[in-house]
Amino acid sequence: MVDFDDIKNARDLLDGQVLRTPALASPGLSNVTGAEIYLKLENQQVTGSFKVRGSYVRMAALSDSERKAGVIAASAGNHAQGVGYHAARLGIPATIYMPANTPFTKVARTEALGAKVILEGESVAESRILAEQAAGAEGKVFIHPYDDPRVIAGQGTATMEFLEDVPDLDALVVPIGGGGLAAGCCIAAAALNPDLEVVGVQADAYPSMYQAFRDEPPHGKGATIADGIAVKEPGALTTPILKAHMKDVAVVREADIESAVQVMIDVQRLIVEGSGAVPLALVLAEPERFKGRKVGLMVSGGNIDSRLLSSVLMRGLVRDGRLAKLRISLIDMPGALAAVSGIIGAKGGNIVDVLHQRMFRDVPVKEADVDIAIETINADHVREIMAALEEAGFGTRLLSDMR
Amino acid sequence: MDSLNSSEPPVFADIKDAARQLRGWARRTPLLENTILNEQLGFRLVVKPECLQRTGSFKFRGAFNKVSRIPEDMRAGGVVAFSSGNHAQGVAAAATIMGMKSTIIMPKDAPKAKIENTKALGGNVVLFDRKTESREEIGEKLQKEQGAVLVKPYDEPLVIAGQGTIGLEIAEQSKEMEMTPDVVIVPAGGGGLVSGTALAVSETIGCPVYSAEPDTFDDHKRSLEAGSRQSVPADAYSICDALLAPMPGEITFSLNRRLLAGGLSVSDDEALRAMKTAMLSLKIVVEPGGAVALASALTQKINLQGKTVVVVCSGGNADPEMLGRALAMEIA
Repeated sequence: MVDFDDIKNARDLLDGQVLRTPALASPGLSNVTGAEIYLKLENQQVTGSFKVRGSYVRMAALSDSERKAGVIAASAGNHAQGVGYHAARLGIPATIYMPANTPFTKVARTEALGAKVILEGESVAESRILAEQAAGAEGKVFIHPYDDPRVIAGQGTATMEFLEDVPDLDALVVPIGGGGLAAGCCIAAAALNPDLEVVGVQADAYPSMYQAFRDEPPHGKGATIADGIAVKEPGALTTPILKAHMKDVAVVREADIESAVQVMIDVQRLIVEGSGAVPLALVLAEPERFKGRKVGLMVSGGNIDSRLLSSVLMRGLVRDGRLAKLRISLIDMPGALAAVSGIIGAKGGNIVDVLHQRMFRDVPVKEADVDIAIETINADHVREIMAALEEAGFGTRLLSDMR
Repeated sequence: MDSLNSSEPPVFADIKDAARQLRGWARRTPLLENTILNEQLGFRLVVKPECLQRTGSFKFRGAFNKVSRIPEDMRAGGVVAFSSGNHAQGVAAAATIMGMKSTIIMPKDAPKAKIENTKALGGNVVLFDRKTESREEIGEKLQKEQGAVLVKPYDEPLVIAGQGTIGLEIAEQSKEMEMTPDVVIVPAGGGGLVSGTALAVSETIGCPVYSAEPDTFDDHKRSLEAGSRQSVPADAYSICDALLAPMPGEITFSLNRRLLAGGLSVSDDEALRAMKTAMLSLKIVVEPGGAVALASALTQKINLQGKTVVVVCSGGNADPEMLGRALAMEIA
């Protein structure tokens, strides 16, 4: 098993190998949530996530012959980066299994660290089985992403540092995928601040630990923005640790996670990946639970794809009513479109896109639909423009999803 | 500095004094770096992220250093500032902390978000029409009638000393990290941030300090070359809205001409690409003007190979549209 001494030893081992990331007080997020918020910035960690902690502690324990034989891991994300990064520095050959459909950028990023990437399996779970088989057949050590005492001890150092910087937290909110980060967190917290409530959070698409707490079979599925914690099976080693220290596991909705990524950008000017935003998502979704308390959020990583990040930003504009799409019915005659754009312009909306549909719509031949995307100030502004169009006789419907 | 309204350039002691004044109020922003990015660049790039500062930019430091020193008997009159951006938010936040009223005079066509942010920080926003009204007249009226104290954005010794705490922190944090910076690069608009930082660095680390600007607002660069204050053409344009001062300040330039090693400048596209690198590699949000020093380093406007380079990312108050524009840039 893992105890606090293991975490202290891991801490010594990690000195100079990974960053001691900053802890940051966040008056901005405190304003928004009503709790006193502190952030542990593992998005600033080497390779952009906490994973390098555990992978280093595990690989530093390899014997000379094991180092020579090399290591194998299965991951398309942060664990791959963590293993690849340290393997290259320790001179250990690394092979990473990723699902066959892994985006090229993720493959390239891991290869750039010097690891060999093998694309096999339909899912990370399948790739992991193949990786474990290959490790056995080739005499290499399989580096588990969470079910390993050294990995858990390594991840625990993040919490140890956090509590050195902010010792008197009332609650510490931590994401749970396989449970390695959370298990290390529980052990460190129990030793350093036994009164601290450790709150574990999962994405509702993959609530495997939440289900384990209820002795339900895991049934995670689908796509989530929190891909770093999209784990179908809770860890065999991590689950009992979490059960021993936590009363329950919380779950947050996909839309709340996306909003939390956006709030981190708007309010705190930090880039956080979906799984790293899950703790904030919980505090935003259940403010009463944390109100007036001193709350630490484990910002576990910042590796978000630029396209996904763009989508979150643009969808945020739509949600806030700063970008809206209207479908407007108009009589198909000269000047109708000019009248519509005149009304929108007079109300201070800025038209960014127009789609005029009359050839392929199921509307009467004398009518036409026009879809107009406009930049607006807020939801009230959108409603004001819609009312003005209606008043002028143009039937108007909001196509975009506004809060 | 004895007087609240001194026009003598600050000295190093004023910066140490400002650091004491700011303790517990301004955040000591961390130094950030990305090991893998460093390896790709061939030099060590260390970022001072003032986007993580209170109000999202360094401006809070200077504003608080000035506002918090206004004596009790003058506080009732409040403070007044002209700004459409980060200075407005810094002054509003500082005044609110001190329990003072703040009036921020902003152009009618200022971005709504900045107006809203300033109001949210407790600022009383007065809008003026650029074409028909003079903001100076409005400001003078407030000063006369209400006894409000004007907080200038850069040509103000207490403000420069406040911004200089960034240089002091860079020196302290470098020591803690056992790191010796070879070059420091700092964005320049009116020159308050770079002059204060350069003053602190000259008395501590002692390495060269460069200003960084948009190509189209390269007044510091040209002024340093000419040895006297130069201005940009009236029709100059840049997306770097935080850096649009037309010429260096008088007090700031008297420091900068003595303290700076030179001026660097970047294109708007280079600033956008730097914003993208900041988001994806450094995990921080930086606004276009805040990214010009980072852009100068990433594009190596001077030879940085093998060196340790500290860049100040001065602010992060960018709209999502601008962030989206940066993310759409191609990075080689």
